[in-house]
Amino acid sequence: MTGIKLFDGMYDGLEQVLDLRSRQHALTAANLSNADTPDYRAREIDFDHLLREVMERSMDGHENPVSEAEIEVEIRELVPWSRDGNSVDAERESAKLASNTLVYNALVTGIDRRLAMLRFAASDGKI
Amino acid sequence: MADLLDTFNIAASGLTAERVRLQTIASNMANARATRMPDGSGPYRRQVPVFEARSVDPFGTELEQAIARVEVQGIKESAEPPIQVYDPSHPDADAQGYVSYPSVNILQEMVDMMSANRTYEANASVVDSTRTMALRALEIGK
Repeated sequence: MTGIKLFDGMYDGLEQVLDLRSRQHALTAANLSNADTPDYRAREIDFDHLLREVMERSMDGHENPVSEAEIEVEIRELVPWSRDGNSVDAERESAKLASNTLVYNALVTGIDRRLAMLRFAASDGKI
Repeated sequence: MADLLDTFNIAASGLTAERVRLQTIASNMANARATRMPDGSGPYRRQVPVFEARSVDPFGTELEQAIARVEVQGIKESAEPPIQVYDPSHPDADAQGYVSYPSVNILQEMVDMMSANRTYEANASVVDSTRTMALRALEIGK
């Protein structure tokens, strides 16, 4: 008899994405805090690629969620144009920060909704 | 969550660095015409903070290593020579009548101050948005 999967792979996927989003957040914060460090190169990860890998693997029905250590992360360093060798673009980083926060909050709302559905079902349809 | 807490620390390091920078700018502007140091060794020297990017987790994955906070390595004296101004009436004038003034350029300090201000604001907004994210995550399932 196959058990009913209450917490399906969707949660693992969402959890992974939340984790990646908070990493992206830390990287953006690191770039902004080093905005005045000479010779510091702004660092970026190919977030869409990472996300696709994570989603594909969690959709494949892997039992264990993939950790990001298994996925090769390509870290790009931006080329500086200023004289002090620093390549942090404050506007670009601020925009990334804002959009990342937005998507993070949207994801949390998504998880919330799924949990609310479960709660609804578990309470015989009474809220 | 640990990542979000790390982010707080990174943003805080940026705030500290910019505050130190602002302090050196204030010191430079206040002493722009100071011809004597307390030990009698000539004019005030322009102070420059030295920043260094330091990895938050040097033993982590490649991505974790790439995440760096900023650290104030120290405040160094600028190597620029003092500005010589001919003013024989000044008590600190040398035998030829020249007075050594600090190599402080008020305009440059003003521009530096504005830049420090902007970076400080950017780091403060990182703290703000991280807080929003952490609080939102705590509400999961509520």
